[in-house]
Amino acid sequence: MTAENSENTTKTFNYSFPTCTSEEVQFKLEVPVEIPHAGSTRELVQRVISMFHIPVYLEEDLNEKLAKFVAEETKNFHNERDKKLLNQLKNSEINVEGIVKGWEKLFKDNVMEFAEQKGTSDEEVFAAAYHKLVHSPALETILQVENSYAKTVMNTLNNRDEDIKKLTQKQTEEMEEKVRLLNTSTTEEEINELAAQQFEQQALVAGRWGSQLDALRQTQRAQHRAWLMNTLEEYQSTSALNTPSNSPLGTFSPEAGGAAAPAAASERLEESFTIHLGSQLKQTHNIRIVAMDLLDLCSVDHVDNPSESSRRLGTALSLYGSELAGAVLLTEAPPRRPAPPTTLLLRAAERSTEHHFADADHQLRTISEKVQEPVERRNTQRLQQAESAAGSGNGSRFKSKRNLQTGDIFITKHSNLAEVHVVFHLIVDDSSLRSGDITSRHPAILGLRNILKAACSNDITSISIPLLLRHEMSEEMTAAWCVRRAELVLKCVKGFMLEAAGWGGAELRTLHFALPPRAAPATFAALAALTPNIFRVSNPVKFRTWC
Amino acid sequence: MYQENEDDCKFAACTYFAKNHPGEMCGSNGLPLTPSSITILGRAQRLLTIEHPNLCTYLDVIRGKHERIIVVAEVIGKSLKECKSKFSYEEVTNIAKQVAVGLQFLQDQDIVHRTLSDDNILIDSNGRVKLFNYGLYYMTDKGNEVSFPLGLPRYLSPETILNGGGPAADVWSFGIIILELCIGKLWNNLKPGPILRRILTLVHANNPAERIAREHDCFEQYKQVPEKLRQVIEKCLKIYPSERATFTEIVEDLSQIDTKQLVEVKTPRGLMGCKLQYLYHWWQLAGGDIQAELKKNSLVKNSPPILSMPIAILLDGCTIGGKSGALFDRRLAKYSLDLLKSRLSHVPPHDFYPLMHERKKEYDAVALPKIIRERDTEYQFYRLLWFQRLLQGYPYTAPYIRAEAEIDIPPLVRGDVWAALLGVVGDIEEQYERIDKETPTPTDRQIDVDIPRCHQYCWLLCGSAGHRTLKRLLKAWLLTNPQYVYWQGLDSLTAPFLYLNFCNEARAFACLSAFVPKFLHKFFLKDNSAVIKEYLAKFWQMTAFHEPELATHLHEINFVPELFAIPWFLTMFSHVFPLHKIVHLWDALLVEGPALPLFMGVGILRQLRDTLLSSGFNECILLFSDLPEIDIGECVKESIEMCRSSPRSISYRRFTNEAQTKDPMDIVEIPMEVLFTEISPRINLSDFFSLICQDKCCVIDIRSNLLSATT
Repeated sequence: MTAENSENTTKTFNYSFPTCTSEEVQFKLEVPVEIPHAGSTRELVQRVISMFHIPVYLEEDLNEKLAKFVAEETKNFHNERDKKLLNQLKNSEINVEGIVKGWEKLFKDNVMEFAEQKGTSDEEVFAAAYHKLVHSPALETILQVENSYAKTVMNTLNNRDEDIKKLTQKQTEEMEEKVRLLNTSTTEEEINELAAQQFEQQALVAGRWGSQLDALRQTQRAQHRAWLMNTLEEYQSTSALNTPSNSPLGTFSPEAGGAAAPAAASERLEESFTIHLGSQLKQTHNIRIVAMDLLDLCSVDHVDNPSESSRRLGTALSLYGSELAGAVLLTEAPPRRPAPPTTLLLRAAERSTEHHFADADHQLRTISEKVQEPVERRNTQRLQQAESAAGSGNGSRFKSKRNLQTGDIFITKHSNLAEVHVVFHLIVDDSSLRSGDITSRHPAILGLRNILKAACSNDITSISIPLLLRHEMSEEMTAAWCVRRAELVLKCVKGFMLEAAGWGGAELRTLHFALPPRAAPATFAALAALTPNIFRVSNPVKFRTWC
Repeated sequence: MYQENEDDCKFAACTYFAKNHPGEMCGSNGLPLTPSSITILGRAQRLLTIEHPNLCTYLDVIRGKHERIIVVAEVIGKSLKECKSKFSYEEVTNIAKQVAVGLQFLQDQDIVHRTLSDDNILIDSNGRVKLFNYGLYYMTDKGNEVSFPLGLPRYLSPETILNGGGPAADVWSFGIIILELCIGKLWNNLKPGPILRRILTLVHANNPAERIAREHDCFEQYKQVPEKLRQVIEKCLKIYPSERATFTEIVEDLSQIDTKQLVEVKTPRGLMGCKLQYLYHWWQLAGGDIQAELKKNSLVKNSPPILSMPIAILLDGCTIGGKSGALFDRRLAKYSLDLLKSRLSHVPPHDFYPLMHERKKEYDAVALPKIIRERDTEYQFYRLLWFQRLLQGYPYTAPYIRAEAEIDIPPLVRGDVWAALLGVVGDIEEQYERIDKETPTPTDRQIDVDIPRCHQYCWLLCGSAGHRTLKRLLKAWLLTNPQYVYWQGLDSLTAPFLYLNFCNEARAFACLSAFVPKFLHKFFLKDNSAVIKEYLAKFWQMTAFHEPELATHLHEINFVPELFAIPWFLTMFSHVFPLHKIVHLWDALLVEGPALPLFMGVGILRQLRDTLLSSGFNECILLFSDLPEIDIGECVKESIEMCRSSPRSISYRRFTNEAQTKDPMDIVEIPMEVLFTEISPRINLSDFFSLICQDKCCVIDIRSNLLSATT
């Protein structure tokens, strides 16, 4: 409700009391009082008495008069204002329709009684069903089914890659042959023609595989949903569980026995801390510094590998819960034209069917459509500000009016990644991040703040952040550079976390800070040593025995 | 049986979301904006103190996750909306009178109801009427802190619809309610838009009440309403607020025509006769869960957060996509006290009325730690009733209160008990009123800087209401203590008193004024170095007395108390611990007296002993820069033991507020320079003799032979 903040007025309170020598001459007191008066009138009386040295015997009288004055004036103030409004209404000087429409909208959009009745969406029904099932004995079956579906997709993907590889090889040979015979039996035109032909073939094959995959995914998704809903129904009525019959959609493998787990990234450098934040009341958080590729958190190996399935298990269990996991990816490209690392993420996501949300590339398309309008508005505004600030047009800084700019974030959600549900794509300007000296007001840092805030208000309790704001090591990233950058990021994140305590959202329980995987062990050690200096590491609890 | 059933639901909760601040969250002072829910929480505290027979008492305001506010308040019977049978005119008059009395009281308190409607007027089987959740408009700062519109369309006055409206808008709503009671529901089945349009067209009517009746084809029925009642309705339904009657006039008019005598209901005895606040408190301790019932009635819906994830966030914080605001649901969740009743069913009736001079029962729970006792339903039940008795007799019961407080203090009455322990008596409101807390002074700047950093994790203290009150308290204290200046830390010292007396500024101030001379005499002098030095020297001597090994180590590495202990004592630990720990610390402090803090310091060191013994100077500095978790219960217990087992004279300080001793037997005062050089405390003659007599000490003469020979 927009109760317009009517301006307060000031009224003068007049008070007079007799002088001691003359009946006619009176002391006059004038006190301006703000109406409506916020504080207590009795306190005001005390101030007046002490400031103007008014005899104390007048205190009672003054109390009474001032209280009456304020009450009277407040009433008048409201009544006058309302009278004006009502008169305007009577004389049709007010846009009644507009006001009524405004109220109508307010009631309709915000109050249950007047809102349009909308049932639970399909999404929510499915979410509830899935959440219930993964927290039932059906969990294992579900994961098996999903894994088998994923394997089918993988097989198809492999076949596709194989096919394309073969085709490419064949084409290369063909081309080489032609080129060898150039000027003897072939002409340049023929080669060009062949190239065009080959390109077409490639496109054809890719298209065929693409549509085949799409079809597969769609069928899988539909079947998966149908199966889940059925299972839930059965589970609720008979509490019996059945596995779906073997279908061409899934590839059930016999119990994976001693298939040696592929050398996982278990040898990565990592160190964990439990820290305390806050000066009097302390909040506990976990911080983990680890040298790894953030994409490792995403990609799943759909082989029957116990450690992989346990990663998936955790993700599936918490998918519709309120302890989500997120990761921050830095990118230079807008969602419309994804570039690494977004494309790498897309590839990881495409390795199995997305059973819950729209496909990743579909999500990106939606995002770029939906952000267009607000971003354009914002960018134009910025441009104008920059121009008016700089006097002459210096607006070429913003390359495109419609694109997201540095520090903006777009967000995708996934159900089929290994350890994350939500990916924050933070748009950065790589060249400025390469340089050593960025400040806490750098857009990337501010973007980080927005990410933590969004995490907080959307129940993301575990988040992975690139500690150096870079995904790869490069030559300017010396050890000193790394320490300086890490210090900045850690300190800023610390500040944001302290701030987050007041936001009243979810607690950020775990923060993973990722270093590029190729970071030197010495650098890693230096950065890990930095953490206890910036954060207060909690003391271990000691159990004492009293003898 | 019916009666009991009605009795079962003693309170109800409703919930809504506070408004989210869009975009960047920074105020003009560069600090983050206070979340709306915090503002609401702060404003609502005042409502918790309001008690009136025609108003449902507010019991609790809870801030949930993601800006959710839950309001818990008393309920009775059922709402007018739920009453299907029609009331007789006699009954209507009576209901109207009771509602008007409630509204008049609110108006005297400067609280505008604004949301008066048939579903928040409750009536019980005896015809008693109470207004429910009358403070929604007040706590949300005129609706500014929420995104939904307040009130129901058909009760809005014309000027309210035009975005104006003062206290007189309540008179209009009241008039509509009475009219509805006489001629039936108005504008039934109409959508908000048409209703509002109809109300606005009433401005052209001479007699809006008649016009409404005609509109509803009820004119005949309206004419049958007793004339006097009709007059009241018409006095309320005037278009111009200035022409409407005031509630005082309405109450007067209605009293004249009201003939119905309410049945005198005997105040229930036993559990149901206890204060509602106590019942609510015990119910929570017995496992009552406000959120669970809300969830069951689907008033709290948890849609999976992943489904409402935003799709993009721009640099300026503008969020695209994601959650749409939850709808405001007017329904209530009612709570039954069965849980508590069965928990306390074995309590014999006479236990509800403890006698002060009776020998008290011993409870097994006393042996348990304080934190556990504070969560034990039955223990708190007995303690609260007992303390209620004692507090009613204050100040005559002061010694009893002190004796009981030594065991523990029930959290619900801690504010009252502290005031009693500090000897706060008299007309504190008037004394506080007389102090000028508004006129700017030079220290304001420093106070403004410190307050937003003072115990801000506490939701009460971090809101604007908390900030404003804390500032007023500090200014008032400085003004009444001109010999003192503002030292940083005074804010932390004031915080616990404000926290416990949030709606009773005067008492918070009186407590602070009594606390400082008792525990921190002369600490806030402009030049307080001598006072602090003596205190720290004494603290060091106490450490040497009780923890000699540790003291030796700290002496060796030259880690002196000046490096860490000044904020401990200057703020009586309120700067180093969170509020929930301070209250336990101060519970003991207030009972034991000014010597205890020295031993509390030792108690803290003792808990860190192992770490300190193995640390050098630098590690020690680091350790104290951010104090690790301390077990306060343990610390308090040990410090009291130490305090009681130490001879009184060894903790003697020159700068106290206590009367000077003249007896040479009791004097231990030595020149300050000597004090600073001595590692061990001195003892006076009387303590020495009593120790000798009890055979509790061993005396070693370390004077050289030469010296003893000469004397």
